[in-house]
Amino acid sequence: MKNTRTNAIPASWRGMLDDPRRAAAHRSYVDEWEKKINSFVQIDPRPGNGEGALAGVPYGVKDNIAVKGLGLSCGSKILEGFISPYTATAVERLEATGARVYGKCNLDEFGMGSSCENSVHGASSNPWDPARVPGGSSGGSAAAVAAGLVPFALGSDTGGSVRQPASFCGVYGLKPTYGAVSRYGLVAYASSLESIGILAGDVDTCRQVFDSIKGEDPKDQTSVPWEDRSGESSSRRIAVLEDLSDLSPGVDAVYRKSLEGFREIGWEIVPVRLKTLDYVVPAYYTIATAEASANLARYTGIRYGYRAEGEDHADMVRNTRSEGFGHEVKLRILLGTYVLRSGFQDQYYGRAQRIRTLIGDEFSKVFQGAEMLLMPTFPVAAFPHGESGMDAFQQKLADKFTAAANLAGIPGLSIPAGMDGNVPVGMQLLAPAFCEERLFSAAREFLSVYEPARCPGFKEPS
Amino acid sequence: MSKYQSFIGLEIHIHLLTASKVFCDCASRFGDEPNTNVCPVCMGYPGVLPALNEEAMFMSYLVGKALNCTPAESAIFDRKNYFYPDMTKNYQISQFHSPVGTGGWFDIDVEGQVKRVRIHDIHLEEDAGKMIHSASGSLLDYNRAGTALLEIVTEPDLTTGEDAEAFLQQFRSLVRYLGVCDGNMEEGSLRCDGNISVNLTGKGLGTKTEIKNVNSSKFLRLALNHEIRRQKKLLERGEKVVQETRLWDEASARTESMRSKESAHDYRYFPEPDLPPFRPDEAFLSRVDGAMTELPLARRTRFVEELGLKAVQAELLTEEKSTADYFEAVVALGSEPQNAAAWITGDVQKYLKRREEEIASSSLSPERLATLIRLVDENRINRNGAREVLEAVLEEDRDPESIVAERGLEQEDNSEELAALVDKIAAENPQAVEQLKNGDMKPIGFFVGQIMRASGGKADPQAVQALIRDRFGL
Repeated sequence: MKNTRTNAIPASWRGMLDDPRRAAAHRSYVDEWEKKINSFVQIDPRPGNGEGALAGVPYGVKDNIAVKGLGLSCGSKILEGFISPYTATAVERLEATGARVYGKCNLDEFGMGSSCENSVHGASSNPWDPARVPGGSSGGSAAAVAAGLVPFALGSDTGGSVRQPASFCGVYGLKPTYGAVSRYGLVAYASSLESIGILAGDVDTCRQVFDSIKGEDPKDQTSVPWEDRSGESSSRRIAVLEDLSDLSPGVDAVYRKSLEGFREIGWEIVPVRLKTLDYVVPAYYTIATAEASANLARYTGIRYGYRAEGEDHADMVRNTRSEGFGHEVKLRILLGTYVLRSGFQDQYYGRAQRIRTLIGDEFSKVFQGAEMLLMPTFPVAAFPHGESGMDAFQQKLADKFTAAANLAGIPGLSIPAGMDGNVPVGMQLLAPAFCEERLFSAAREFLSVYEPARCPGFKEPS
Repeated sequence: MSKYQSFIGLEIHIHLLTASKVFCDCASRFGDEPNTNVCPVCMGYPGVLPALNEEAMFMSYLVGKALNCTPAESAIFDRKNYFYPDMTKNYQISQFHSPVGTGGWFDIDVEGQVKRVRIHDIHLEEDAGKMIHSASGSLLDYNRAGTALLEIVTEPDLTTGEDAEAFLQQFRSLVRYLGVCDGNMEEGSLRCDGNISVNLTGKGLGTKTEIKNVNSSKFLRLALNHEIRRQKKLLERGEKVVQETRLWDEASARTESMRSKESAHDYRYFPEPDLPPFRPDEAFLSRVDGAMTELPLARRTRFVEELGLKAVQAELLTEEKSTADYFEAVVALGSEPQNAAAWITGDVQKYLKRREEEIASSSLSPERLATLIRLVDENRINRNGAREVLEAVLEEDRDPESIVAERGLEQEDNSEELAALVDKIAAENPQAVEQLKNGDMKPIGFFVGQIMRASGGKADPQAVQALIRDRFGL
């Protein structure tokens, strides 16, 4: 098979939205797919400036990232009718390259979920097999890219929300170093963990988009000036996890094969143990829900979004929040309120923060002996919709491979690495902070041992 | 020793005089059309992030220094969670674990005694908006939301309403000296809550009540003293003080219960993940040092000890920094300190008050006042002439010298002319002369008045008097 994924954005995307004929032809392609996968919640191409490296290239934006004049639903009823009055920094930076927002992509409500079924706009589906989920919470962004509706899309990754759907849909998914990309305009779920991430059909597009959006932003004081710390790759040692249980047979097979693949292209395999891995999920959910309980307090129906009726102000707010938030969101707000309550902070939140430090330390140790770490992105491949799939609790437990990177603030790139039946399986590469270049270059190398396919029905634009 | 002891601690909020709000670029200005100084950040819109205003941090560290606090090497912001309609995010960005300053003190003068009040901490936070209740419903104005608010928390070292009143007045003077707050209590740029408990002497703190939102230092004194009496009475009767928040009711001159502890909040503080810790570097700290100024109490003491002013005058002169600066400028130009102080706290203050002007912005520059004082000292004009000149300087914005010349106010010291006048008036008033010769001194005033009139006010009254005494051998 011809290697179609090594080049950055195919020329056919360039200027596409500036050419009415091509734009219209593409629109019918999109509409056909949307009946099956429901990846967009709003399609409304924004005007472009017609200049720059990505002039006229359409892209999708997860609907928890602000674009002035477009909705910002976060997949929630509580933001019904809300139109964003401003634009996120990452989107502004892409606008400066000439790229144009094509529309807003579906997601799990406020970024909480692993299936993209938990949205007021209905579930999205996996383009490889619409009976299955596309993964979450950036499922809409991943599905849209996998189906070829857009060459890339922005997502957000709090505990794996870019990498897991990338794995399920067979595309590349980057969660950058914390602080490398401005969060200004990303609707907060868990501020200290989340980043705006990128879903792309090929690794060089991913890299190019990352180049465009990274860097310090005065509007986000947790952002930092970009400084590449990848260095010269001299050691070529890649760490792998020694004892992996809990993997589905399909994912396990792909993991072993990827490991062999890296050995084949000249990497030395260093087996390591991550003793803290078992603590990732409890620490992650404690911190994430604590922050979420504060971040979601602003949705009251008073100034924007959905408003319920009520006897008085307090009653109105209560009804608005009861009717406006979905179950998963309510669960996490309650959990977060519980772990922060007076007298119990040290027992829960404080302890989670200490675990977080230990996880970071353990990663640092691993990276002293290896350039990168290879792990599965998710223990299973894309599961079926509904009750035959994974339940919400199983989904949370399965976040341990991805959420570790969020706790440590390090970059992770999920790359297509094999198939489990008719659906793809991704593996993630992790590197020290500000070493994204290592991830891109390893992903490029890996193409010589695994050439990912496109989903059935995929067409490049003409 | 009295049977009961009272403990008062204050929580003071001041609006910092920053140009923009604490976490966004919106103007920090009140009184504008409602909801005009707002943006997605201070409105808490989805996806926005706070960006710390360094000017607010600077002013906070400056207050910390003035209050002898230990400055935080790493000032951390926390989220304080509570629901309120005029708070846009429903959490307030404040400081809890590592505030700007801790463990300081502030010396106040209470009736001539210096009293040291310990400062627990000072912390920076954002203010909420304002609710306006009308017949058709409640309206919200968010112009104030996100403005920089510095909270100063004292230890319970004050004992009476008078202490608290003095503290508040002198603290107000301090923040105005530092230029960080206009100190206007009526407009809410300085707000104060008082915590108070009464207990048997030696038993330590009792159950406290909190008095909220008192809008003048006088009401603070009245409310606290009322509360001390109320709590003593309860204890006398063997009843318990309930921990609660109370409001001062001006009309009935009493405190009234507002809410009890049962409805107290669990603020669920945790570190604000959107703001990295603020670590002042050396340049920042030396800028703070450079902005430090001599504080009111120190200046007052110096004016008394070094310049020989009376305590009352020193107090009047040092209450506002601009007045004290003005006074020192006049002294630097050669005026004798007590003389300059008398002028400024006397005639100058009187004329300015009448004209509703501030000394610093009036046309009476320190140079002009120094000139005026010199003209009097050199006997070139008399006191009445000086008052006329003072008024004219304020009115016409011109130099005293030219006003004196134009109006011919220069005193005559031509004694021959004056002697001729004395002769003339003596000739016209033989009875008065007779009285004087018989030892009745009353007509002296009459003579001086007549001569002053005849000279068109230019005569030096003292010289005239001397001349009369000389003429009639008195």
